[in-house]
Amino acid sequence: MRALIPVNKVVEHVRTIRNGLVLALGITMTALGASACSGGGDNNPPAAAAPNEHVDLTLSTFTEFGYEALIPEYERLHPNIKITHNKTGQGGPYHQEVITKLAAGSGLADVMALEEGHLSDFLDKGSKFNDLTKIGPADVTPDRWLGWKYDAAKTKDGKLIGYGTDVGPLAMCYRKDLFKNAGLPDDPEAVKPLFATWDSYFAAGADYVKKSGGKAWFDSASQNFNAMVNQLPQGYISTDDKLAVETNQGIKDAWTKVTDAVAKGESAKLTAFSNEWNTGFQQSAFATKVCPAWMLGVVKEHAGAENANKWAVTAAFPGGGGNWGGSYLTVPTQSKHPKEAAELAAWLTAPEQQIKAFQAKGTFPSQVKALTDPALLSKTDDYFGGAKVGELFAEQAKKVQKPQYKGPGDGQIQENAASPALQAVEQGKPAAEAWQQLVDAAKKITR
Amino acid sequence: MTVIDKIAPEGSKAGERVSPRPTFRHRLSRWDVKVSPYLYIAPFFIVFGIVGLFPLLYTAYVSLFKWKAGDDTPDFIGIDNYKDLFADSQFWNALTNTISIFLLSSVPQMIMAVMLAALLGARLKGATGWRVGILLPYAASLVAIGIIFANLFGPKYGLINGVLQTIGLDPVDWQANRFSSHVAIAIMVNWRWTGYNALIVLAAMQAIPKELHEAALIDGAGMWRRFFSVTLPLLRPTLVFIIITTTIGGLQIFTEPKLFDALPGSNNGGSSNQFQTVTLYLYQSAFENSSLGYASAIAWVLFVIIVVIALANYFLTSRLTRTPAVKKK
Amino acid sequence: MTTTLQSSALRKRVATLGKPRKATYIVLAIFVLGSLFPFYWSFLVASRDNAMLGQRIPPFVPGGNFFANAARVFDTVPFWKALANSVIVSGTVTLTTVLFSSLAGFAFAKLRFRGQNGLFVFIVITLAVPTQLGIIPLFIAMSELGWAGHLQAVIVPNLVTAFGVFWMRQYTVDALPYELIEAARVDGCSMIRIFWSVCMPAVRPAAAILAMFTFMMSWNDFLWPLVVLDAGNPTVQVALEKLQSGYYIDYSLVLAGTTLATIPILIVFVLLGRQIVAGIMQGAVKG
Repeated sequence: MRALIPVNKVVEHVRTIRNGLVLALGITMTALGASACSGGGDNNPPAAAAPNEHVDLTLSTFTEFGYEALIPEYERLHPNIKITHNKTGQGGPYHQEVITKLAAGSGLADVMALEEGHLSDFLDKGSKFNDLTKIGPADVTPDRWLGWKYDAAKTKDGKLIGYGTDVGPLAMCYRKDLFKNAGLPDDPEAVKPLFATWDSYFAAGADYVKKSGGKAWFDSASQNFNAMVNQLPQGYISTDDKLAVETNQGIKDAWTKVTDAVAKGESAKLTAFSNEWNTGFQQSAFATKVCPAWMLGVVKEHAGAENANKWAVTAAFPGGGGNWGGSYLTVPTQSKHPKEAAELAAWLTAPEQQIKAFQAKGTFPSQVKALTDPALLSKTDDYFGGAKVGELFAEQAKKVQKPQYKGPGDGQIQENAASPALQAVEQGKPAAEAWQQLVDAAKKITR
Repeated sequence: MTVIDKIAPEGSKAGERVSPRPTFRHRLSRWDVKVSPYLYIAPFFIVFGIVGLFPLLYTAYVSLFKWKAGDDTPDFIGIDNYKDLFADSQFWNALTNTISIFLLSSVPQMIMAVMLAALLGARLKGATGWRVGILLPYAASLVAIGIIFANLFGPKYGLINGVLQTIGLDPVDWQANRFSSHVAIAIMVNWRWTGYNALIVLAAMQAIPKELHEAALIDGAGMWRRFFSVTLPLLRPTLVFIIITTTIGGLQIFTEPKLFDALPGSNNGGSSNQFQTVTLYLYQSAFENSSLGYASAIAWVLFVIIVVIALANYFLTSRLTRTPAVKKK
Repeated sequence: MTTTLQSSALRKRVATLGKPRKATYIVLAIFVLGSLFPFYWSFLVASRDNAMLGQRIPPFVPGGNFFANAARVFDTVPFWKALANSVIVSGTVTLTTVLFSSLAGFAFAKLRFRGQNGLFVFIVITLAVPTQLGIIPLFIAMSELGWAGHLQAVIVPNLVTAFGVFWMRQYTVDALPYELIEAARVDGCSMIRIFWSVCMPAVRPAAAILAMFTFMMSWNDFLWPLVVLDAGNPTVQVALEKLQSGYYIDYSLVLAGTTLATIPILIVFVLLGRQIVAGIMQGAVKG
């Protein structure tokens, strides 16, 4: 059997390889044209379609927005418009796809949902999105939404790139039965003092650990840390887009409090949304949980029927209030029908439609009128002991302060610098080392 | 044996009378022989032009810029990306992880594949069933693999730790510890690829004429001697083949580390990048950090490293499986 | 060295050459069990519900939910369409890969032309190109051609692989003796006729193996289809990914989906498996 490749011939034929490469290059370049980056948009935005001219729109969302019944309704109201709704699964891959298609210059839908945690990656690419104050319907005004929600979608030069859909006002969920067994108060009103500040929260945690014989208080350190950092006046990035991690004392304090709590055994050391975290609910691995409005459904599904009425939720959150999650509908400049797309986005984010979405999938409205709607305020949840969740979260939504400035890279610092660093602490790394890891990673992200 | 070595382009044979004026058919035949090879290999090069060459050259171009995704006017920075890369500790970390995982997976895998092939080559009852059984892991969907192995290797509730605890050993935090994460990922890779490589080796083994084994046996060679002196040398081209493909594949391991992270969809490769491989770092730079220029530099450096190591492997393997004296009939 | 064929012990050894020992079966059984266990486990979950994952020692007997979960898969995503798309994509890719790889392998193995060694080394080097970053330029190329979201975008980049060429060349070198080719040339066959009538039959076992591997690889291709196709026109793997939508993942649903997705591959095994065993047993034509 012969050798696969005659060794000496390899050396001999370098020239042939080079010729081959040049030839291939020529063919390829000619075939595809040399345009590498086709850029974002036209200089002349497409003209609006004549009324009743048929228009095809695409809408792209991830996880659950509750639009399944709304799309056919819109098509009934606008017979000349056909909407294709693309639903992706998880938010992470969805946003990575958005980046790919933004870079490629094509492939984005007419209306693209973007999540607030990733929004910072797109706010500095404002030129790729339409200004909704310019192309949106004239009757859509800022006072439709909660102030902090509306403002968060504005770029530095004042362009509004997204209409707010839902929000995730924060409350605290807890296990009534575990509290009772450890001798803690379990009534939703009685537990409020425990959750008044982060100090009281972690102190109650230490107490719980002692009284329950070593059980964990919360599921994951990063869940608390992210909420704490979000409440600060300044986040990871300062308003002049410089990394502020090392100078921001608030972040350092939050770090110290959380890592101390981990050292006291308060953490169940689970990674949020991992397989084991799912199992953790069933195994009753932790007694409290940072609960944005959309988390209720998650808790219910993961904890399962046998834990019904054991989980409760209360209208208190350490540090006052906060927000986690929620999205916006944007219209990229790639869209061929920006005006029609903006109209669709405006309609979907109107209070009436958002209430319907809330009833379908629990996405909590960000529109001011919706927060006083009786349909919302009367909503209860049997799983959580019949709690009036609509009213509860409406109250929490009002407690949110001015939005924190989220500079470019903010979302990534939270996900890829802070959360892994805290995970490392939970896995045994000394807190000081892990802090350095956080700082280094943050520096790299904002390089 | 007087065989004409290759199909000579001229198409003339020794002793054949060449007519004074070549007929059209004769010319067509000569043209056929001359041009056909290029036509036959053309499809590959055309596809590769689109799928391989264009992206390769494009990334070489992009790597010279500070290019964030969505940038309309990236800055030309020459080889700065490469300079930064060589000073980047996360890159070296990823490279170390890659090589470690590569060695931990491919060395046992090769040995097991050859061993399995030897076993499967026997006259087994239900041979098809055994062979299909070994190949089955290759049929598993990546989605399933992610879920299954996350559950097997879960630090708190995983099956493997459950078994370890039942026999009285301590549970292992598979994702936390650097070495254990490499072992776990190597297990995932090997589970998927060993059967595949075993079948390739089996095909080559079955091509060895039985008479050779019988002759060696008659000459007094035992099982091991036969294996090393008859089987292995004749397997050399196949072994070289799978070692090169396994090397290249092993240095590009991407899916398994990505799926192994507890957080779904994460590209971190562990809380402190314990098991982040170079391709995963590349993917993270491109799709999370949107640093297309930097990611392109990583891609090119990896490409060069792979070529170097694959070539080294090729020379090494050729040397090691040099043909000893074998009596051929 | 004198051979003592009269020695009955030696004769017995020769006669039983290749007969497996008991240890062989035991070792193979261990490997096959290891290979099958994760499949069985995922079928367990698919036939029960999510709660099973939370139990320390999981039950080892299947439950009765499999068909219910499987039905839900079809309701949640356009699974029939995904299956059809995957069959089209994988089937086409397999056919073209086997055909073009055999052609190129034939050329490299048995024909002589200028630059052939260099070109072959070039093909091997192309294996080293990392695919992840190719995603963006390839997506640009697909968009320019207007193929994004269509099956062509998934088929065309995979029409022929370096692995395939490598593999077929190697097999052809040994399996196709020059005598056969020469004989055909004397009979006046054109090159393509020689390829089709002489080469292909000789390399059929290798082609069958390549077909099986290519089909499986194409069927499980995940990253690129996820980028370039959308939910309306998915392949099976893309549809499986969409099953994981929502904040809450129903593992029994997802694993029911993956089990369903594996069935077509098993069918391919059944169809091609015997072919391969028969082919392997024949061995190569000695050259």
